[in-house]
Parts: sequence; C-alpha cells; structure tokens
Amino acid sequence: MTLLSLQGVESGYGPMQVLWGIDLEVNRGETVILLGANSAGKTTLLRTIIGLLPCTKGSIALEGEPIASLPPDQRIRRGIAFMSELGVFPSLTIEENIRLGGYFLSSSEVRRRSARLYDLFPALAERKREPASSLSGGQRKMLGIAKVLVSEPKLLLMDEPSSGLAPVFVKQVVEVLRKAITGGMTLLIAEQNVAFLALADRGYLIDGGRVRLTGTRAELEASDAVHEAYFGL
Amino acid sequence: MALLEYALIGGILYGIFFSLVGIGLNLIFGVMRIINLAHGQFIMLGGFGAYLLARGLGLNPLFGIPLAIAGGIVIGYPLYYGVVPRLQKSQDPEMLSFILFFGIAQMIEAVAVFAFGADQRSLPQDALGSGNIGVLGQEFPDSWWVACLVSVLAILGLYLYFSRTRLGFATRAIMADRDEARATGIDVDRVSAIALIIGIALAGIAGVFVPYLIGSVSSSIGDGLTTTSFAIIIIGSLGNPLGTVVGGLVFGIGTMLMQTYYSSWSNLAPYALLLAIVLVRPSGLLGKAVRRA
Repeated sequence: MTLLSLQGVESGYGPMQVLWGIDLEVNRGETVILLGANSAGKTTLLRTIIGLLPCTKGSIALEGEPIASLPPDQRIRRGIAFMSELGVFPSLTIEENIRLGGYFLSSSEVRRRSARLYDLFPALAERKREPASSLSGGQRKMLGIAKVLVSEPKLLLMDEPSSGLAPVFVKQVVEVLRKAITGGMTLLIAEQNVAFLALADRGYLIDGGRVRLTGTRAELEASDAVHEAYFGL
Repeated sequence: MALLEYALIGGILYGIFFSLVGIGLNLIFGVMRIINLAHGQFIMLGGFGAYLLARGLGLNPLFGIPLAIAGGIVIGYPLYYGVVPRLQKSQDPEMLSFILFFGIAQMIEAVAVFAFGADQRSLPQDALGSGNIGVLGQEFPDSWWVACLVSVLAILGLYLYFSRTRLGFATRAIMADRDEARATGIDVDRVSAIALIIGIALAGIAGVFVPYLIGSVSSSIGDGLTTTSFAIIIIGSLGNPLGTVVGGLVFGIGTMLMQTYYSSWSNLAPYALLLAIVLVRPSGLLGKAVRRA
C-alpha cells in the first residue's frame, strides 16, 4: 500500500528551481534510498516533502491525503518525521532534544516513549542532562535518531545520516536503522554512503533535480548509471 | 570606601532593573532575528500605563504590571501575525525590521505626544514605600528595592519558562535553529508570537518603574531607552536573553561608579564600555559559551 506519493513535484529556493517534475512512491514498510551526487536535489526533495520548502507544482500525498499545502508541524502530526544532517539542537540537553521530538504529544506519553528510547540508547540515558553539544558526532546521530523516533512516525525521512561520521559510527547507525526497519518503520533516506544501500528495498537515482533511474536494490547495484553517478566509476 | 559601597550596591540594584529593561529586546531578537526599534516606546507605554493608574484612578502603580502583561498580548499578537511572517519571507529581515520598527516607534511616540503631551510625568514618590532600606550602611529608596525585586522575579520567571516548560524548550530550539525547529514539528509562528508577547510585556513591566529609577516618564523617552537596551544586550550577548543580566549589571555598576566618582562622564561611560567589550569580545561577555542557551 502506498504511504507517500509524489507526482510532478517542483521546488527550489526562491527563484532558483531545483526539482523538476519528481514522481516518487514509498510503500508502507519499505526502505527507499535516494541516490545522487552532491547538489543533485536529494536534500531539497526531503525538505519539500516535510514542508520546509514550498511545492510550487505537483502534488504530495500521505496515505492518499494531499499534504503539500500543510505547514511542517501539521505534516509531522500526520506521521512524517524528518532527521536533517544536523538532527539535534546542540545547545539543548539530550533530554530536552528528545522531549521536543514528541512536541505534539502529551508529557506523559513523551515520558513513556523516552524511557523506551533510553533503553535502546543507554549512552544517552547516562548523560541526559548534558547539552547535546557535549556528544561526539556518532552520539549526536544516535540522539538525532532517538529524537525522531519519539513521535513513532509512519514515515521517517533521513538526510545523509552518515554525514561527518567515522566508519565505525556509520556501522552503528546502520544497525540502529536495521532494527527500526525490522520493527516495521518506513524509511526514505538520502545518502551517499554505500553502506546504506544494503538497507534499501528500492531506490531512486536523482540527477539535476530529476529522477534519472528507479529500481530495486539489485537493479540499482547493477546499473551503470548508479556506478557512474554514485560510486564515481 | 563608603562611596565605593554605595556605587556597587546601587549599581547592582540599578543593573538588575536595567536587565529587565533590555531582556525583552534580546528575547525578540533571539527568537525572531528582528530588531525591535520600538522597544523603548513599549517601555514608555508601560510608564504611562502606571501613570494613568496612579494619577487617574488613584491605584498603586504596581497594578501597571498586569496592565503591561495585558498590553503585551493586545499589541504583541496582532503585531506578530501582521508583520513578522512577512518580514521573515523578505531577503533581509533584519534590515527590513529595523526600518519597519523605526516607523512603529515613531507612530507610538506621536500617539503618546497626542495623548499625554510632551511634558515629563512623575508618579507619587511614596506609592512604592516612603522609606529607605539600608545594606552595609548604604540606604536606597524603597522604590529601587521594589523595582529590583520585580525585575528578579520577572527574570526568574523567564528562566523557569526556558528551562522547565515545553514552550520554553521550543523557544530555545527556535533561537538555536529556526528551520530545525520547524522540521521537529514545532509551531514556530505560535511560539514566536508568544515570545513577542513576553518581550513586549517585560518592556511594559520595566516601564512601570522608569519614573522611579530615571525620575520621570515622557513621550520622548523611548529612543534613549532603546539605545540603552541595545548597549546592555550587546555587552551581555546579543540573542541570549539570560546574558542580558550580565549586560545589565555591567551597565548598572559602570553607570553608578561613574555617577559617584566622575558624574559629568557618567552618560558616556556605559557606551565607552560597550565599545571596549565589542572590540575585545565581539559576541558579548557571555557570547560563545551560552549564546544559544
């Protein structure tokens, strides 16, 4: 069943158009990866889906309901969560970051869900009163993931989760996401690190703000276009 | 030694009050990145509110505090939704806000001249107590202590709002990164509107005590208070409301020391201090460590 559907989406930054007629679908329980070089439009696409950038043409639907005209907070209430490259508020404590991840939930519900997340990320539990700025890059990513998981989203959008991480931390992030996928989470990940391709069911190759190729993981791995654009071969 | 004690204790009282004077301006800048050049005029309105209550209705000027909070809501809510989202869509919101709020400041001042005239107005000197309270042998009027106490309570209230409430976390999140806050699901406009209301209300509350700490309130007092507030928040840390307390104390103690020892230079000293601090630490005394706290 289709969870997210984009048809002919165009978007950009003010007068500068970046996306040109993007068609994309994510089914419930799927992990979909957006491949592409820097400046291909992957981040712009995720920011348009969450509502940080306007969808100037085309449609975006979640569970068949149009959401393109809704502000970001309304989209998040409907079950989308977005983890940006930064992912956390460095000046806020770990606990405050996690509580903000469930901003629209009741305090008791946030407490209940936070307790579960602290079990999943014990390193965060030990330091929950410390500012997020005191965490290492890998720990910040874990906090970013914990922050978006509080809302128990139907669809999680992730922008370059491996950005700035050492290989050992990338491995940890992949493992955490693998657990989330096993739990039934639907993911749309924009990523350049090959390690994340192993998580995907399907993917899209974005180039110049357009979908250049789409297919299953196996098809993408075998594609010359992906090798050329993604692996630089 | 007695003179020094007088200057230091008086400077702390004066400085805590001036922290309240500047804190609303810093909150609004920190959350919305707009420069509220009408800040001093909102303080002036608070002073005239207290004046009307005391002279017109015979009430204690402290009733001006709830009036300032009500004024913050009545002015802040429509001002936010009428102006701020449009400003933030512009190419240069800071510069545009500078011009727009300059216009608002002039309008408020013109209305105040129309309503209250250009004369200086004072409040009954005994309304906040007719005696003095002494510390270390140095005595200061009751009104100064009341102003200091209310300032401490207001700043403490703001601190608790930031550190204990979900709206406070959201406010700090917006101050840290507006886009990240939106992507987290925070209704940025609603939280920012509340911050504008709080900022204007705090200015109005400070205004209630202006006739006691400065001597009088007049329709032309706003621009000077805005300038002073800017000096205070830049000394502390621009964009960090709680840094304003440090700025206020530096300003208050500096001013009182100069008034005590070199009174003819006292108006110049705080701004000379501002220049020195900006040259040595451009981000203010608390700049780097807690700017986004």
